[in-house]
Amino acid sequence: MSRNRSSRHTQQWKDTAIPRRPLLWLAAALLFTLPPLFGNLASWVAWLFLLALALKFWMEPRGYRLRSNVLKLILAAVTVGAIFLSYGTLKGIEPSVSLLAVLVSLKILEAHTAREFQVMVMMAWVLCLCGFLLSQDFAFALCLFVAFTLLIAALVQFHRGSSPNAFWLPLASTLKLLAQAAPVVVLLFLLFPRINTGFPLRIGDLRSAVTGFSDRLSPGSILALANSPDIAFRAEFPDRRTGPVGPMYWRGLVMWHCEGMEWRAPYAPASISDSSQRNPASDKTIRQRITIAAHAARWMFALDRPVERPSSAMLARGNYLYSFQPIRKTRRYEVLSSTDPIGRQLNVHDRREALQLPASISPAVRELAASLAAPDSEPRVTVNNALQYFRTQGFSYSLTPGEYKKNDLEEFLLHRRTGFCGHYAASFATLMRLAGIPARVVVGYLGGEYNDLGGFFLVHQADAHAWCEVWIPENGWTRIDPTIVVAPGRASQDLSSFLAGRVASGEMATGRSSFLTQLARLAFVSQIRSLWEALNFQWDTRVMGFDADVQDVLLTSLGLTNSGPLMLVIQVLIVIAALLIIYAGWMQIRTRPRVDRVKELYERFCRKAAQLGAQREPWEGPADFAQRAGRLLPNESERIRQISTTYIALRYSPQPAGVFHDTFAKEVSAFAARR
Amino acid sequence: VKAGKFPLLYPTASFVGLLFVLTAMWYAASSQNSPAVYLLLFGLSAVFLVSIPHTLLNLADVTIAPESAKPAFAGEEVSVPVEIMNCSRTTRRGIELVLPRSGGEHKHVDYIPAGKAARVTVRFPAGQRGEHSVGTFRLTSIYPLGFVRVLKKITSSQTYLVYPKPSGDPRLPMDPARSPHSRPQTELGEGDDFAGVRAYVPGESQRHIDWRAVARGQPLMTKQFAAEAEGSVHLDFSALRFPGIEERLSQLALWVIEAERVRRPYGLRLPDTNIAPDFGEAHFHRCLRALSLFRSEQA
Repeated sequence: MSRNRSSRHTQQWKDTAIPRRPLLWLAAALLFTLPPLFGNLASWVAWLFLLALALKFWMEPRGYRLRSNVLKLILAAVTVGAIFLSYGTLKGIEPSVSLLAVLVSLKILEAHTAREFQVMVMMAWVLCLCGFLLSQDFAFALCLFVAFTLLIAALVQFHRGSSPNAFWLPLASTLKLLAQAAPVVVLLFLLFPRINTGFPLRIGDLRSAVTGFSDRLSPGSILALANSPDIAFRAEFPDRRTGPVGPMYWRGLVMWHCEGMEWRAPYAPASISDSSQRNPASDKTIRQRITIAAHAARWMFALDRPVERPSSAMLARGNYLYSFQPIRKTRRYEVLSSTDPIGRQLNVHDRREALQLPASISPAVRELAASLAAPDSEPRVTVNNALQYFRTQGFSYSLTPGEYKKNDLEEFLLHRRTGFCGHYAASFATLMRLAGIPARVVVGYLGGEYNDLGGFFLVHQADAHAWCEVWIPENGWTRIDPTIVVAPGRASQDLSSFLAGRVASGEMATGRSSFLTQLARLAFVSQIRSLWEALNFQWDTRVMGFDADVQDVLLTSLGLTNSGPLMLVIQVLIVIAALLIIYAGWMQIRTRPRVDRVKELYERFCRKAAQLGAQREPWEGPADFAQRAGRLLPNESERIRQISTTYIALRYSPQPAGVFHDTFAKEVSAFAARR
Repeated sequence: VKAGKFPLLYPTASFVGLLFVLTAMWYAASSQNSPAVYLLLFGLSAVFLVSIPHTLLNLADVTIAPESAKPAFAGEEVSVPVEIMNCSRTTRRGIELVLPRSGGEHKHVDYIPAGKAARVTVRFPAGQRGEHSVGTFRLTSIYPLGFVRVLKKITSSQTYLVYPKPSGDPRLPMDPARSPHSRPQTELGEGDDFAGVRAYVPGESQRHIDWRAVARGQPLMTKQFAAEAEGSVHLDFSALRFPGIEERLSQLALWVIEAERVRRPYGLRLPDTNIAPDFGEAHFHRCLRALSLFRSEQA
């Protein structure tokens, strides 16, 4: 009885070792799926994953197995509990992906037959999918692509068995497969209809954290961006090779509401029609194609100042772009800007708003404003006086000016006199309003890093900037940047290199490691960086930018939308099938055994003889067959004898003469004709 | 050997897994409208699609040649050596050979270089006595990715013989010609004069194997002993008194083995066949072949 049971158990547990090499490939692939997970999941999940992999490699050669069902259940329960504790919920994308990663870890530990290898590969593919849901960054995409390749290599190695070949040969087969698959991928990616099913898997809202500006300019808001390495947007100039002459001011949003040191943009800006603004002379306009990173707000950027809006945005009062929808994923748009100053006249409503002031302005500041105002109320003079005040009265530029608390405007203008662009723009605009000149604050970016390889400008969050616009009657809204009066270098470089230059010249103390700064300045490092940025840009524009809407445009321009999605699917599949047939034919031709012309001809002769009634037996030599066939077909005996002699000569004589081939072929043909 | 004209192609179990993964990807991609996930989806689909011609052509110009199988006694195991030839100009990998009648055992060949051949031996229990056709081989492969299987059915005209299972009384009949209905009485073949060794014949009693020689690494040999009676023995089908034909054939087979072992000339007399007394390997197989092919209606 007991013997019976134990034998049944061994039957049930009959396990086969998972071959080592495929497991190695799989482990490598899984390691590459990890980076996106590490950044986005509770860190213990990734560590558990690594631990499971390591344990498996320790267990497998020793034949250890995780067999106890109770233990498996306990492990599963503990990990699910841990996920719940980490996130407080099991719903949502992160807990779900964590759950999946944990299940993969447990599966790796538990797997005990070679058959389960396939299951592990499938799970790894789902992990790749999760990686893309968590992050669509180019660096992570690259990791996941490597993981994808390694997974295929693992499968190839698994089915290849134990060939005594070099370790990397499966990778060669894999790359060949991928190369052949590439046209199919391109075809599917471009043409396969993307039907938006609107399934309830809303992850996008959750994932896109708000980055960039808020609609409020307070002294701290730009500081938060100055240290950010993130990219705000990339800009190309399709009509010219390089950017505009002079500093590039990228207009973001315009703030009308003044609270002293704090400024605010309208919550729901009014739209202005762009036709009324269309005045640009063509030599002063510049077309830009901008790829903006997701930032969950609605600002869109353009060179100061946009005159033609893209279809996805409106021109808001103050001449800035305001998207109809929050920008939750990378978006690409074209916009036309003009370098001309804006506006011919200021309407009453705008003038009132551009002169609005908070009630709580200290008398000292009012006094200062009055002293700066020109007696004949000539705005240009007042502006110059104010700039002169900043230039000469010991103001300095610093990213760490300390906190301004009570009565910040007075504290900044009259006592401490140190700050960065936010302080200067806000205080300058307030001073102008106090002096009776309509003024507003513009927030955006200044500068941009040119990428040689990609031919585009890269604008980082750290390039964030704030400046002012004042109304000068004969000129319209005129840009005044008080910051460059204080820090003249800032206009020609982006913020980080400006700061780096200051650190190098000893003007500023820094907490950063100077090694890194020096490394970043090496020529080849910056080349690699610019290559990386160019690739990044291609990924964002060519791949991430190609969504259902862009595809629609492409399909329409190709004239493929008339027949409906089903027809399109069928057409795509037909093209792919044709491609596969071409591949198959090509591989078949390359591997087919070389044809033996003489043998073929002789076989043709034999077939004909068989039709006439003389069937050659498999064991019969040509000479024997010729004799027998000659007897069976007396009319043909002469030709049969001749064919056989020629055949024997061609096959077995050491150097058959070339002329034989032709006569042989003729003889065989003649043999048919005589019938 | 005759191969089917076109290889068949059908999905494997892991294709279901792939479908599941692709569906999950499609679901995520379409609900997110995410180009990156679409790229992953199309990448996996494309690799799968491209792997189909690879699998399909993995058996192109691969053919098999079953070699002649050694006859086996009923109840033993038949082994058919099969040569898998790769006539193509490239290495073929991951080839499996299945003989359905052998109970579906997969013979896996990891790789065959271009123009070379691999040998596998298909084993299966010998069924009833008689001559059987090896039947249809199934040559399959799922290389490189394992989502589809290509199948080539190759029917072989190769046959194998199954001899009747030897059983019954090992004592040879004394003089069956004279007294056809008497049971054999004399015990022969067990004499104690050692007369040398010869190759072991499957089905023989293991008692006489020269195990010491085996221990020295030599092949299986049977010790032979000089028989006491030297006269030839006639093994007569109609002289046996068993009711069943199979029982009689089994008895005759056993006697043939015993007589061959003691190298005593033996003749076989079946209702329509008469084999003159002789001994030696050729004679031995001739007799057993006659027993194997004996048809019931002959009786």
